[in-house]
Amino acid sequence: MSDDMPMLDCRSAMQQLWDYVDGELTAERMQAVERHLDACANCHPHAEFAERFLAALHQTREDRSCPQDVRAKVMASLRDAGMKVT
Amino acid sequence: MNDSVPPADARDVEFARDALPYMDDVYRFAYSLTRNAADADDLVQETYLRAFRSWHTFQPGSDARRWLFTICRNAFLRSREKLRHEVDVEDSDMETLVAVMNQGEMRKDGSDQLLSRVDLAPALTKALDELAEPFRSTVILVDVEDQSYDAASEVLGVPVGTVRSRLFRGRRQLQEKLRAYARDAGFASAGNPAQEPNDV
Repeated sequence: MSDDMPMLDCRSAMQQLWDYVDGELTAERMQAVERHLDACANCHPHAEFAERFLAALHQTREDRSCPQDVRAKVMASLRDAGMKVT
Repeated sequence: MNDSVPPADARDVEFARDALPYMDDVYRFAYSLTRNAADADDLVQETYLRAFRSWHTFQPGSDARRWLFTICRNAFLRSREKLRHEVDVEDSDMETLVAVMNQGEMRKDGSDQLLSRVDLAPALTKALDELAEPFRSTVILVDVEDQSYDAASEVLGVPVGTVRSRLFRGRRQLQEKLRAYARDAGFASAGNPAQEPNDV
């Protein structure tokens, strides 16, 4: 995106915010939203909040893993099904 | 050498290498679908059995985790004889704006401070467990398991636009649950009127 392209307005930037933090926009749109967020004191905190929220959500991975007894059951059923590597 | 144990064939070695390391991920996704440990246990076993038996259909080099998630979801649907009749709102732009407004409310009443707390994961895990389907499985796939919108679309068997809509609504509902949690924990000022961002 060139510098002389018109800046996104706040509404457009916010409409694309989740797609932006998820990295789901095209490179050009990513740049456009980033440029707006860098320059807009109102929208920038929204992006920061969204990123912190998603980071906290991602941390819940640590909270739930497959219990050992379930692993053992899975491996036993795979052996019963003919799997030779356990 | 023990002659009673036959040597592992290539399929078994590949399956052990490419599919077994994702058992935690499959378990989390299974739990998100079933919402209880006993059913999640059964679903994980069923998923891995189906995956092992159909390993010949797996494309080497493709995303094994995504493939396992798809098998898991299909096994879940078959077990519940559930039809894909969920109705979704497709106005994702509006969903995004509403979610952003909710963020603004959290920042204004101070409940966003909760996000910097180290003990937030249990509260979020509880909020995730309480989230209704089909939002829960979508949020789990994208936000917890790092699947792209395209991958989640493939796993869930719905268009990408539906993934976005479910994701944004799910996130909004989680934020609302966090606000309530923040108020209960004394992080937020309950009396503050909700305000929307000035220019959104």
